Amino acid sequence: MGVLADVYEMLNTCNKCGGCHTACKTYKLTGLETMVARGRIQLIKAVADGKLEPNQEYEDAIMSCLLCGECAVTCPNGVHGNELVMAARRDLKLRKGITPFAKSFALKTLASPKRLGMGFRLFGGVGKSVLNKLDGMDYFRGIDIRNFPTAKKQFLEQVPERIKVQNPKHKVGFYVGCFLNYSLDQTAHSVVKVLTKNDCEVIIPKDQVCCGLPQYCYGDFETAKSNARQTINTFLDKYSDAEVVLSACASCASMLKHDYLKLFADEPSYLPKVKLFCEKVVEFSEYMDKIGVNQSELHNSSPLTVTYHDPCHMVRGLKVTKQPRQLLQMIPRVEYKEMFEANRCCGAAGLVQAFFHEVSTDITDQKTQNIKDTNADLVATSCPACMLRLQGGINKAGQKQKVMHVADLMAKAYED
Amino acid sequence: MLSQTVVKRLKEIVGEKNVVTDKVGLLTYGYDGTLLSGEALGVVSPTTTDQVVEIVKLMNEHDIKLVPRGAGTNESGGTIPSQEAIVISFTKMTKIHEIDTENFVAVVEPGVINFDLQVELAKQNFYFPPDPSSFKASTIGGNLGECSGGPKCFKYGVTRDYMLGLEVVLPNGKVIQTGGRNFQSEPGYDLTRIIVGSEGILGLVTKVFVRILPIPRAKKTMLALYDKVEDASQTVADIVAAGIIPTTLELMDNLLINTTEDFTHAGLPRDAGAVLIIEVDGYPEDMDEQVKTIGEIASKIAKEFKVAQTAVEVDQIWTSRRSAFGSVARVRPSYGVNDITVPRSNFPKAIGGVLKVAKDFGVTIGVVAHAGDGNLHPLILFDQRNKEETETVHKAEQALCMMALDLEGTISGEHGIGLVKKKYLDKEFTPAAMEAFRKIKRSFDPTNRFNPGKIIDL
Repeated sequence: MGVLADVYEMLNTCNKCGGCHTACKTYKLTGLETMVARGRIQLIKAVADGKLEPNQEYEDAIMSCLLCGECAVTCPNGVHGNELVMAARRDLKLRKGITPFAKSFALKTLASPKRLGMGFRLFGGVGKSVLNKLDGMDYFRGIDIRNFPTAKKQFLEQVPERIKVQNPKHKVGFYVGCFLNYSLDQTAHSVVKVLTKNDCEVIIPKDQVCCGLPQYCYGDFETAKSNARQTINTFLDKYSDAEVVLSACASCASMLKHDYLKLFADEPSYLPKVKLFCEKVVEFSEYMDKIGVNQSELHNSSPLTVTYHDPCHMVRGLKVTKQPRQLLQMIPRVEYKEMFEANRCCGAAGLVQAFFHEVSTDITDQKTQNIKDTNADLVATSCPACMLRLQGGINKAGQKQKVMHVADLMAKAYED
Repeated sequence: MLSQTVVKRLKEIVGEKNVVTDKVGLLTYGYDGTLLSGEALGVVSPTTTDQVVEIVKLMNEHDIKLVPRGAGTNESGGTIPSQEAIVISFTKMTKIHEIDTENFVAVVEPGVINFDLQVELAKQNFYFPPDPSSFKASTIGGNLGECSGGPKCFKYGVTRDYMLGLEVVLPNGKVIQTGGRNFQSEPGYDLTRIIVGSEGILGLVTKVFVRILPIPRAKKTMLALYDKVEDASQTVADIVAAGIIPTTLELMDNLLINTTEDFTHAGLPRDAGAVLIIEVDGYPEDMDEQVKTIGEIASKIAKEFKVAQTAVEVDQIWTSRRSAFGSVARVRPSYGVNDITVPRSNFPKAIGGVLKVAKDFGVTIGVVAHAGDGNLHPLILFDQRNKEETETVHKAEQALCMMALDLEGTISGEHGIGLVKKKYLDKEFTPAAMEAFRKIKRSFDPTNRFNPGKIIDL
């Protein structure tokens, strides 16, 4: 009960005004009070008060939250629904472990580079060839799995540990993250390209692991901490000459920069080191904007209309919104078009897309429509999980837009 | 517990997904914006009028009560269910049937969210004037059930004034239509006006004909700052006495200025005793003259008067005002909201009365008011977990109601009576008037099927 007792004052601060109705996509699309911050908070409070014994329906209400954080922004009382849901997930983990098995298996796999590497190899090889032979298996729970990209070789094995430039002005530690390492390795190469074009020496430690966000989100703080410790120690001790720790994944960056502090709040002796690390963390667009981009070498042969999707962890986690848009507009002949609700969740939301695929798919469909309405040729974003989800949704809707990372667009412009 | 037969029938009527009977689901339909809660036997979400009719008939057969519910944001306890009822949730009846700009009418289902309607109307340069602070979440059905007001009431009136006609399912399962798209009053009894504000105790509304207006071509938003809340109330009286009708005349006291600032960072001065938000609308050429006159009146007492220069500034001011109720839990976790209303000329006296109640009972009261229509929202802040404090708050609330009645006012201007203010209703009405209420209820609903126990006991 300790976990919920710690957040009890915040639970009690929700005065049920319903202001979060407008913020919550899972509510908007289901119309169910169990699927909105107010409802979830009242349920968590009932559990904290001992009036409700956690059951399957309770778990569904807690696990279906996108953790997009929009309710926290909208609440006039400053109640952070997403943090309360996190506390409830931690509470559930302590009560009964992580269920169902599929979720627990997925989280364990993500946490271990060996298992994850093997998983991707299996999926990219045998898995895909099997899928291609099966009819009607284009979409698994709304996820476009046949087109799910897998790197032939993980990015970390493709590059040396240090990529030097002639006159280095900066030394950048590159935290690659799982998606860029195993799936969207081209985007990781784009990041390196943009950095080197801007006189950054890039340091890419081989012994990087998952940042721990997936495990943290489902209450497995122990695994999350173990991965976090390895990440922190690697970058601070072994590669201490890296001036910053850069991530091109909004989710990883937000975890590294903000959530590590919360995760280690109960370890005062280690906390100073965590703080040191967190201060070094920077998201790709934010960093490029800060050091100033070499614009003279950006070329683009044909006009391009681009729109931008704000990943949740970018807009509400890191609070970075202007920089990616500015970078996109630095590219010659790019016409920028803002989409409706650019800053709302794409529906991926970690494992929510797999376990609550109906509502997830509805959210993605709305997003794809908003993209279509801009008439853009291309959607740029800053998070690989969003990239995959958006591209899948766009393909499913029979639309033509291509989804790229801001870094991909910039790298392409440096090549043109 | 609902019998298996009833559950099965409900699922046949509205589909498996639209029936909730599990404990978790029921818990989330047991509360509203008040401190009350209850637990229903089930929750059913119809999507058509026919389904509503079938549900009503089924409930009649099995003698089960019905509690209608929109978004559940009300401040009266009007949607709190009990163990003898099912909740009928209208959040899935969200169609906008028609927007008829030639005749200034929109036809909508009750579950349409006020804000969503505004967005659709705005595309055609129209709007629906009643805009309660909860308008981003609350439904048209809920607005009409409670006869909601909102900041624009001063000039434009309340929800009642924009209801042209209704489709209503009566407690006997029959469907009637009252009014329609005609502007003139209906022949015979004005049934529309009996249903509006009846909090779901007479009939279930399944279609609404609302009056819409073209968006005014120009508006100006002004802020007047005061040292004391009494000073602000004097400006209100002065503006009204000068025969000016702003769209909006909203007052917030120092406590609310600070709690909303914590949320919005709109830049309202935290040391001001009170702020008046004044808005006028109309033709562009009228704006300067109106602003000048109001400025002259306000500046007699106000320590500062300014006109918002940008749309962003206006937005921030409104976000502050609209989040007033929501934001007070920053100070104390519970609040009792009142919506006492007095004739506008008595507004300064009512403000004095609120301050006296706060002092007499030793309670913290934040004041936000639709000052132009004499409608005050004294928010009494406390912690529900403290029994003694809660008792005092109830006594203070009663004192506020009695104070309003003494000033020829009413105990409720726009939130409805529900359960929260039921005990004060007979202070406002004579026994004969109360009996007239009961007779109307009985003639519509002889078996007390719809939202029993709300407004009046039979």
